[in-house]
Amino acid sequence: MSLRTDTAPPFRRLLIANRGEIAIRVIRACRELGISPIAVHSDADVDALHVRLADASERLGPPSPAESYLSIPAVIEAAHRSGAEAIHPGYGFLSENAAFASAVTDAGLVFVGPPAATLAGLGNKLEARRSAEAAGVPIVPGTTVALGDDAAGLAEIGFPMMLKAAAGGGGRGMRRVDRLEDVADALAAARREAESAFGDGTVYAERMVAPARHVEVQLLGDRHGRLAVLGERDCSVQRRHQKLVEESPSPAVDAAIREQLFESARRIAGSVEFHNAATVEFLLDADGKHYFLEMNTRLQVEHGVTELVTGLDLVAWQIRVAAGEPLPDAVLEPALRGHAIEVRLYAEDPYDDFRPSAGRVTAWRMPDGPGVRVDAGVEADTDLRSEYDPLLAKLMVHAEDRPSAVDRLRRALDETLIGGVQTDAGFLRWLVDQPDFVAGAYDTGFIAGRWPAGQVLGEETAALAAAAALAARLREAATPAVARTHWPAAGSAWGRVGREEARRG
Amino acid sequence: MTDFEILVDGQAVDPAEDTTLVVDDERHGVGRLIHGGTVVPVIVEGRGSDRVVTIAGRRIPVTVRSWRERVLAEAETAAAAHAGPVSVKATLPGLVVAVAVGVGDEVEAGDSLLTIEAMKMQNEVRAPRAGRVIELTVEAGRTVATGADLLRLE
Repeated sequence: MSLRTDTAPPFRRLLIANRGEIAIRVIRACRELGISPIAVHSDADVDALHVRLADASERLGPPSPAESYLSIPAVIEAAHRSGAEAIHPGYGFLSENAAFASAVTDAGLVFVGPPAATLAGLGNKLEARRSAEAAGVPIVPGTTVALGDDAAGLAEIGFPMMLKAAAGGGGRGMRRVDRLEDVADALAAARREAESAFGDGTVYAERMVAPARHVEVQLLGDRHGRLAVLGERDCSVQRRHQKLVEESPSPAVDAAIREQLFESARRIAGSVEFHNAATVEFLLDADGKHYFLEMNTRLQVEHGVTELVTGLDLVAWQIRVAAGEPLPDAVLEPALRGHAIEVRLYAEDPYDDFRPSAGRVTAWRMPDGPGVRVDAGVEADTDLRSEYDPLLAKLMVHAEDRPSAVDRLRRALDETLIGGVQTDAGFLRWLVDQPDFVAGAYDTGFIAGRWPAGQVLGEETAALAAAAALAARLREAATPAVARTHWPAAGSAWGRVGREEARRG
Repeated sequence: MTDFEILVDGQAVDPAEDTTLVVDDERHGVGRLIHGGTVVPVIVEGRGSDRVVTIAGRRIPVTVRSWRERVLAEAETAAAAHAGPVSVKATLPGLVVAVAVGVGDEVEAGDSLLTIEAMKMQNEVRAPRAGRVIELTVEAGRTVATGADLLRLE
């Protein structure tokens, strides 16, 4: 069966206004569609993998994102220089920036994304809350207007509450507040982070729903009013409100809950023009009741999980609907097959509160084989920059059911080897052995509650590490350049060997 | 039975017996530790006495030292303990977004000193020991590199 309605490529050249793994993901879609992919780069990324995989790359500016990947004039100029007809923004950076979407269309280019007005409306989480409420979709109790610097009136929402950036996403500008007296400090911190990440310090408050699962519905819309509802993803394994693991279908969603989630997602989508991939995010409480969180009218990091269970190429469809192609019936109601899980490989230290670890990736071995997909943005000997997101790669597995997918993920993680920087791989390997994860019984508090901050090193692992280091040192010592010294057999021999050593020295 | 003392994460550890290390990628230190009929993929980085071994995704600092290296290292540690002020350095590059202390402030070990934003995350820099801030070399808004002096404690 063919889902192709158009045989000609949607565009001749397309500029990808992003970096890292997502730029590479879009480059691959371009290649398959017969489009010439054009990359962009900052001065820090001249030799980056995404630059080397594209047909050409345009310089944007200095390493700082504000002067490169977030600079609207620099990106528009790059598109003009390269002769691109369309721009794909990826996720993050300018992907939800209404001014950017306007600038792209004003420049006579096609924006692979929604109209600017949609981004201005939905991108503002506060406005989105108001329209969801108007569409009859349940929202988390909280404010529907921006917070001032004064915390008055917040007490009635109830504690614990979450402060969130109106322009936010990815957990930045988000703070949990447990007591009224902590509101002022949390508000200042959330505002500062929001200002730095999004250039907009507007913050609102929601009551915390806990325990809760984070479940989202993937949508795809075209320019002809057709809407595909492509299943849900469960993204409840999070640290600092950022997702680490995503899977589809959600172990917490049965047919009845799924129909309610889809209905709410359709209602939200019905009030919005987006002709793009989009995601409606919900919190699901312990009783299976859902609350609208936000809608993203862009590609999500975790889109690959949906691609695996639907068999659809979401990035290709983003580009095809941007060019005006209608979604065929088979895309509107795809059969969902098996179970997919994604884990994010981040350059962060799970043994030190998931702090970002900078440095150089040395060894880089990714898993392979049946049902394994890796979308990576780095390779061996890549220097990591502190200016950019620490996401190294997304490891995805697909299998006939969830237990097989978990087994496959365990096997894939065992094949994964990353040197030079501490990553979260060890945490992920721990996770797949946790009975509650294996059973699908987890919520957004899983990491905070289960992962001990200073996870003790097991005796057996320590002994193996000792053996490996010793063997490596002995190999090195076997070369003439390094002199061998002798460890005394007993404490009494210390002085004697010391004197001998001193004489020899 | 070995000529070396081995410290894993600072603790003396006996190496697992009957192990063989096969190195597959010399440059990156990638290899396999063959142990009791199983194969454990490992990465061993570093040279001389200080190594980092990656097993099951965890980077484990391991010191493999001769008695002579041990004596030298202990002498160095003893000298450092008697030294005066300690310099607090940036452990990662980023932007200083907030400074919580001023010159003359007394701090306890573990107190938050300043906040560095790196990879879009805010990271607290904490006092390595108790003391008084005698010099502050950064202010909010400054970008710092790894190893940059932030402040000195006495």
